[in-house]
Amino acid sequence: MTGAAQPARAASTRQGIDSDKLLTLVCVGLPLIGLLLFFLYPMAIVFLRSLTTADGSYGLGNYAEVLGSTGFWRATRHSLLMGGATTVLSVVLGFVIAHGLYRCAFRGKWLIRAVIVLPLLAPSLVQALGLIFLLGRNGLLNRFFGLEIDIYGFWGLLIANTLYALPQAVMIIGAALVLLDARTYEAAEVMGASPARQFRDLTLPAARFGILNAAFVTFTITITDFGNAAVIGGDYSVLATEIYSQVIGLRNFNMGAVVGIMLLLPTVLSYYIERQAMKRQQGQQATNAQPFVPQFTALRDLPMAALCLAICAMIVAVIGIVVYASFVRLWPYNLSLTPRHYDITLAGGYSSLWITIVISLMAAAGGTLAVFLLGIGLRRLPKALMQPIQLLAAMPAAVPGMVLGLAYILTFNSTATPLYLLYGTAALIAIVNFYHYHTQSFLTVMTGFRQLPPALEEAAGSLGAGMGRIAVNIIAPFVAPMLVSVFFFLFMRSMVTLSAVVFLTTPHLSVAAVTIMRLDDAGLTSQAAAFSTCVMAVVCIALLGMKAVLAYLSRRSARGRAD
Amino acid sequence: MKSWISKLTTSLLALGAATAASAGSITVYTALEEEEIAGYIAAAEASMPDLDINVLRLSTGKLGARILAEADNPQADVIWGWAVTAMMDPRILGMLEPYKAKGVDVLADSFRDPDDRWFAPIGYMGAFCVNTARLEQKGLPMPKSWKDLEDPAFKGEVLMPDPNSSGTGYLHVNAVLQNMGEEAGWAQLEAVDPNMAQYTSSGSKPCKAARVGEYTVGISLAFTAMSSIEEGYPLAMVFPEGGVGYELEASGLMASSGNKDDAKKFLDWTMSDEAIALYGQYKALITVPGVKASAASEKAGLPSDISTVLAKVDFAKSAQNQIAVKQTWKDKLGR
Repeated sequence: MTGAAQPARAASTRQGIDSDKLLTLVCVGLPLIGLLLFFLYPMAIVFLRSLTTADGSYGLGNYAEVLGSTGFWRATRHSLLMGGATTVLSVVLGFVIAHGLYRCAFRGKWLIRAVIVLPLLAPSLVQALGLIFLLGRNGLLNRFFGLEIDIYGFWGLLIANTLYALPQAVMIIGAALVLLDARTYEAAEVMGASPARQFRDLTLPAARFGILNAAFVTFTITITDFGNAAVIGGDYSVLATEIYSQVIGLRNFNMGAVVGIMLLLPTVLSYYIERQAMKRQQGQQATNAQPFVPQFTALRDLPMAALCLAICAMIVAVIGIVVYASFVRLWPYNLSLTPRHYDITLAGGYSSLWITIVISLMAAAGGTLAVFLLGIGLRRLPKALMQPIQLLAAMPAAVPGMVLGLAYILTFNSTATPLYLLYGTAALIAIVNFYHYHTQSFLTVMTGFRQLPPALEEAAGSLGAGMGRIAVNIIAPFVAPMLVSVFFFLFMRSMVTLSAVVFLTTPHLSVAAVTIMRLDDAGLTSQAAAFSTCVMAVVCIALLGMKAVLAYLSRRSARGRAD
Repeated sequence: MKSWISKLTTSLLALGAATAASAGSITVYTALEEEEIAGYIAAAEASMPDLDINVLRLSTGKLGARILAEADNPQADVIWGWAVTAMMDPRILGMLEPYKAKGVDVLADSFRDPDDRWFAPIGYMGAFCVNTARLEQKGLPMPKSWKDLEDPAFKGEVLMPDPNSSGTGYLHVNAVLQNMGEEAGWAQLEAVDPNMAQYTSSGSKPCKAARVGEYTVGISLAFTAMSSIEEGYPLAMVFPEGGVGYELEASGLMASSGNKDDAKKFLDWTMSDEAIALYGQYKALITVPGVKASAASEKAGLPSDISTVLAKVDFAKSAQNQIAVKQTWKDKLGR
């Protein structure tokens, strides 16, 4: 990119503008082609299937049938209620944690930072087992206190969904809070504004974009999630369970496609509401933002620290109990310790772990670059062009993994296009992982970009810096923390996500999440827990390694600048 | 952008590898259990050293979704050991090519397709998984039949899979209906419904929940019950009086196969003496006349003549009726 920018600077102004336009085109164009090929095109095929009736003709018959069934409306009601409740809970708790991390002063933040991502890097089986071992009818809590609490149903599902959504809410809200300008607060301090007033008038409005984005993401991933509903939802039927029963139980993909398409509606609607709400807020960033360094205030920081630690303790308990159980001979009947479950008896053993790391790095690197380019490019586009692209980029989370996975089979297993070359390859698995989590990555980067002072860019531009140079020298360092969290997010999810990938593995190509599922299918749940523990350990080591590299690089570049 | 290039390169390489391997290799889709697959494949590859057998294992429901999604360009050469109720779906039958595997004559007519599109030398059975520790703690009597589960003492202690999501759920519902007759069958299912804590989406989950003591009775699969007992869980496997539901595991040749010779060789092998001997090692339900079930299943409480515990099931009828039965179930009992 720097290479492309150099001639732009040397050339005359007119040519400079042209090469900027070209660069905008490339920045938006490449990620857009990806979105069209790997999201919109498969979804168009799903839409076509939803219109295909049993006798093979096209029509709205499937929609009429779905809308006419009582089960669908009950599931819709449940999904909306669950989506709303999870959103409120996750966003409130997510804001508490993000605020604690970036706007408060207390020790042990590294611990909170480390713990809060655990639900993202834990395979879904771990969260499911953890909640049941802990809160189930025969769980630790009930047995220890002699209670008979039954969590299957609404409350269990709410807890499970919140655990999964919370880290994503923290990531997005954090992107809004980390970049707030310290000098605004200093000025408020000088003018005598109370901390409560500063919070209300400065922090909240600035975090609004992040909060709304987090609410959108949380709501969307909750209404599309099947795993939690199946494990702990009991008879609380939701739309995702309706899709499962149509597609897997009744082998009727077309009817499942109808529900899948319907799931897009609340998402599009909530995205629209969010955009309307955003219109009233203008970017108010000064140039040259100073990072905020909070001072310790007992009244604010002690309760915040306590709350953050309480939430983290809950997460650690759920995941820790599964790690512990993986070393137990026979949970919950024989609690003597043994490493025997780590001797994986399944053919292939641990081999799928290594290919999964490669796939996840591919998804994370390619994905981070794509959303970064898209983020830069969108800033330069006229509004009329920008909005539809933004909506498209925010939509993938509204598609349940199972629908996306089967849509990929329908799309890429067809010899009609050269895309067929991708079918059965590791690349396609990396691609499906990226697009499955496109929304979260995109919105995190957009939230970060929003805090970027436009004046900074303008100043650089008027000094003759081409767009490529601005991107590399000004924007990239500014949004680097967001890019790092997006990279880690994509890496973690790609390591453990199952719902879409399960339909794209081949006899030669299996991923860790599928191995875990196969172990559990074979009744070897303890081995599945052991394998999950290994996956989590590998992800943690990989994350620490990458963090070390990053720290080394940033130290070196800081030294380089000082020289 | 570099990543796109590398992605493309990787895919081309993978494709190259795939085409290179296609001579003397077949792809087999199966829903058999991992442990038996490993045993059968090791033996099959030893007796056919030139043949490379690539196996993809998915649960019955997921495999169905995948085979149907791939219908325009099927990837499998053989479907091996998949629920016959699913196999009899006209869309699946349309993808199969009639082939009479060597040795298939020994099977009774009800265990193979009249047009030779599938045959089923083996099968699996349902079972009640009863957690004996929880049973004792709650002071409940050991249930011996569906009728016993009507006892209000079992309220909230019984789990079964939803027939609309799980083949195992349909296996049980269908057996009750065919065994007792439609009217009495539905009455039985409705009588047990108030005690049912949940209808799950997975067929093995009721047993897995029962074995860790979340519930007392899980209406589930004999395989899961037996493997749990072997692991040491305090579990008893009960076959309800009057007959338990079962399912045949059918195999067939995909008409689209690019390597039919080898696919046929593999199907022949599944009816060979060697394979049949292995069935005796792994399976509880073998339809080949005169072959005894595995010793492990006998230890877990299976009678030596399992025909005494099986419900009378007409599989053609089960496949035909499934849409209607599932819809009726949804209307009467759906939650």
